[in-house]
Amino acid sequence: MKEETLDCLGEACPVPLVKTQKALEKLDVGDVLIVQIDHSCAMKNVPEWAREAGHNVEIEEVDDGEWDVVIEKVK
Amino acid sequence: MGEATEPVGTPSSSPGIRRSGGSRSRKKKKSQIPLGLLAGVAIIAIGLVIMRESGLLAFFWFTGIAFGFILQKARFCFTASLRDPYLTGGTSLTKAVLTAFAVTSVGFWAILYGAHLAGQPLPGQGFVAPISVSTAVGATMFGIGMVIAGGCASGTLMRVGEGFLMQILALVFFVVGSLLGAASFGWWELNFIATSPRVFLPDVFGWFGAIAVQLLIIALLWIAADKFAKAKQRAGTH
Repeated sequence: MKEETLDCLGEACPVPLVKTQKALEKLDVGDVLIVQIDHSCAMKNVPEWAREAGHNVEIEEVDDGEWDVVIEKVK
Repeated sequence: MGEATEPVGTPSSSPGIRRSGGSRSRKKKKSQIPLGLLAGVAIIAIGLVIMRESGLLAFFWFTGIAFGFILQKARFCFTASLRDPYLTGGTSLTKAVLTAFAVTSVGFWAILYGAHLAGQPLPGQGFVAPISVSTAVGATMFGIGMVIAGGCASGTLMRVGEGFLMQILALVFFVVGSLLGAASFGWWELNFIATSPRVFLPDVFGWFGAIAVQLLIIALLWIAADKFAKAKQRAGTH
């Protein structure tokens, strides 16, 4: 199991989402991707897309207005 | 909206994904309630001061703040409502925007029809803008701009308020563009806009026909958005 961190701090929506999609494509099933975001809009569409794609998603607020979106690739 | 949204800031209760490094150290959170109360009192105090000058300005002050508050808390985004169907296949925001349009349509219709019944001049007739190719060209330009800037006008303002620094850049050019547009609007209006017809739906379909047609179109768009999302989901992710 590999774990990768994707730094999207300071990136405006939809850049985090596009980067997440690309990064996740490269990972294998079971790998974990941690997307760091600070744009409130990405807080909505990154988890929404990942859940719809069937992955496990967790959101953690690490600071005021800064989140880790943890995505486990399922398929 | 969708069941996929999770309240912000609450740790999720799902079993948990194993992470080798563990969580990043979380800063101890200060309670924001005193600050919030203070801001609330300040908003009301400023509103009362403005009200002595002009009731209308105070009304704008309160509705503006309420609008921004809802926009931020709901993570409502007009940009995403039009961009996400393409990008992710998700249309939950598209449907939310359409629902908002339907609700406001009924409200506006009621105000206009009320004025009509009372024999008063219809409010807001100056805002029935001519419809033409320039509408489509302008909308396309605005669409490209808002996707690059990461937000439409209200979204940019809201995220600047949230403290997202990059969008201050968008705000600066938003102001520059608005000023340029306002300064040269007369010329644009004379040469491109005013030559086109103004369409006011109740003139065309009658009062009840207008609201029926409008709601029907919104309903059809809503169904299309719903079907689009389901089709995208079935087709798998891209």
